[in-house]
Amino acid sequence: MTAISSDKLMPSPPAKRWRLHRLPNVDRKRRMIAYGLSLLIWFILVGAGLALASFPVKDIAIRSISATLGSSYGLQQTLTLAAPLILTGAAVAVAMRIGIWNIGGEGQFYFGAWAAAGVGLFLPEGPAWFMLTLMAAAAAIAGAIWIVIPAVGRAYLGISEIITTLLLSFVASFLVYYLAAGPWRDPVVPTQAATARIVYELPALDDGAHLGILIALGAVAVLGLFLNYSKWGYEVIIAGANRDVAVYAGIPIRRRIIEVMLISGLLAGLAGMIELTGVVHRLQGGISNQYGALGIPIAAVAGGSLTGVAIVAGFFAILLNIGVSLQTQGLSVHSVLGITGLLLFIIAAAEAAARFSFRRVATS
Amino acid sequence: MIELLTGMLTTAVIAGGVLALAGMGELLTERVGVFNLGLEGLMSLGAVGAVIVVNAGYSPAAAVAVVMALGLVLGAIFALGTVALRADQVLCGIALTFLGVGFAAWIGRPYSGQIVHTQFAPIAIPFLSDLPIIGKAFFQQNILVYFGYVALPLLVHLLFFHTRHGINLRAVGENPAAADAAGVSVQMIRFGYVMVGSALAACAGAYLTLAFVPAWTEGLVAGRGWIALGLVTFANFMPLQVTLGAILFGTLSSFGFAAQANGWPVPSVVFTIMPYVGTVAFLFIRALSQRGSHRLIMGPAALGHPYFRDER
Repeated sequence: MTAISSDKLMPSPPAKRWRLHRLPNVDRKRRMIAYGLSLLIWFILVGAGLALASFPVKDIAIRSISATLGSSYGLQQTLTLAAPLILTGAAVAVAMRIGIWNIGGEGQFYFGAWAAAGVGLFLPEGPAWFMLTLMAAAAAIAGAIWIVIPAVGRAYLGISEIITTLLLSFVASFLVYYLAAGPWRDPVVPTQAATARIVYELPALDDGAHLGILIALGAVAVLGLFLNYSKWGYEVIIAGANRDVAVYAGIPIRRRIIEVMLISGLLAGLAGMIELTGVVHRLQGGISNQYGALGIPIAAVAGGSLTGVAIVAGFFAILLNIGVSLQTQGLSVHSVLGITGLLLFIIAAAEAAARFSFRRVATS
Repeated sequence: MIELLTGMLTTAVIAGGVLALAGMGELLTERVGVFNLGLEGLMSLGAVGAVIVVNAGYSPAAAVAVVMALGLVLGAIFALGTVALRADQVLCGIALTFLGVGFAAWIGRPYSGQIVHTQFAPIAIPFLSDLPIIGKAFFQQNILVYFGYVALPLLVHLLFFHTRHGINLRAVGENPAAADAAGVSVQMIRFGYVMVGSALAACAGAYLTLAFVPAWTEGLVAGRGWIALGLVTFANFMPLQVTLGAILFGTLSSFGFAAQANGWPVPSVVFTIMPYVGTVAFLFIRALSQRGSHRLIMGPAALGHPYFRDER
């Protein structure tokens, strides 16, 4: 009796059900959870894949940790690998600010290394610091030159910079391969498809890593300050975020696009010089070691933030180092690329998934 | 001279066939509004997959079927990210390229340099194959060439411009909200055509090893996926123009053949870079020639934009 009467007084609330709802913004917490979950899924998938291919996963994990962080040699290796990655990651990240994809960092890297090698091999000898500065300048300018055509095409003709930058990287890599194995080949050791050894080397730091890591961090810091605290940087962000607003505010969008792309190419070119004078010391085919390509996932995972790029590049350097130590076990550098691709896909999907949320709503 | 022209044209047609297949796959994907930058990866996996199947003793036709099924599965995964979850299409595409190129290099290692056991044999079309110059190039090719150059473009052209479904799918790429309001299932169409496009890209990879270069080596695809992406833009997103453009782009690869045959004193690197430089040049020529006109210059209006029903 009482039940019936109370039902009459208070009608049961309307039936509720779960509904998928899309959030306009993703807050920091959700983002971090999404990233954490992606990394977890990725670790599980890679581990399972390696186990299926009958690799000793536990061994690899232990060895990886000692090979990268556990020893001072591993740490040096990681820092050495991180230097070019920070620069190529920053190259992609800075372009992302204005909504541009420079995925041809590989080509600018090659062209930068080529220019630096040219200066080192063919100019009259000079003091090392002077020649290294000259090589860095040449590499940066060469990297910027290699992106001029895609930049102009994008800004004035609307030609997809994604396609042009990538196609030109194939051109640069073939040209460097041709030069190193042909006209510029070392006359002393002609069996090697590489140029003569370049005498100017980046000075080593105390712990064995070379100066490249400091140059990379310095360049990224200067760029970050400029992007975040100057009128120019603000205009770049506005032009990337909302073109209509930028036009209304009188921002010269085309000019900004070209400037940003030139800076992007410059950074990747500088990475080429650092790898040449810090590690390889000879111009040879395959010198980029896919650093240019890896800049894309680094910038994407960092969400376009330059501080983020420095951190994520460190993480990728560890990955690459593991890849190098796994080469003895039959995993090639290309497998590292594949594994990176998997991470990129999971993170892109997780970023999108983080925008969805379940909410209880009343059914009408 | 006649011999040289015949050789060049034959090389151009064979080299262009890869682009015709991959380009048509990308065209189907882009026309429904999805940018698939993963062509290069799909083609790599297709190329290595075809070698594995054929060298295990199966026929080339079976290899194509297996590889296309693989393409459908990979396309479904890509669509799960880009269509269902609406993730960034550029990032997912680059991820697919990395994944495909890297994984193909890994599983292809034991097969690297091995000669493919059986390739598709050329089928001569009576009378036509005896014509001078064009006879050998156009009418004495293997079945995949005929499929990529004739059957597929005609099929896609008819589908796009002569069926109701074609109107629907183009609407999905141009104005998904309007298509949705008219009762077209935007997500289903996008999902489906991303899968079909990926299958064609994988088929283009199989073409590489079953009808073109008779062995798998790492880096065999060598940017052909990106050239195919350029081709779709160059062809104004029209199926028959994709096919014609494929021969034009294929011609860029055939100069190397001519140089080798005649012993031209030019370093081979000039011919190696020609397809890439040529593609960039063609994109510029097209953009310059269409400045100010109202043609479909930037592609389908919704290309690259995920569709959300509540944001109408």
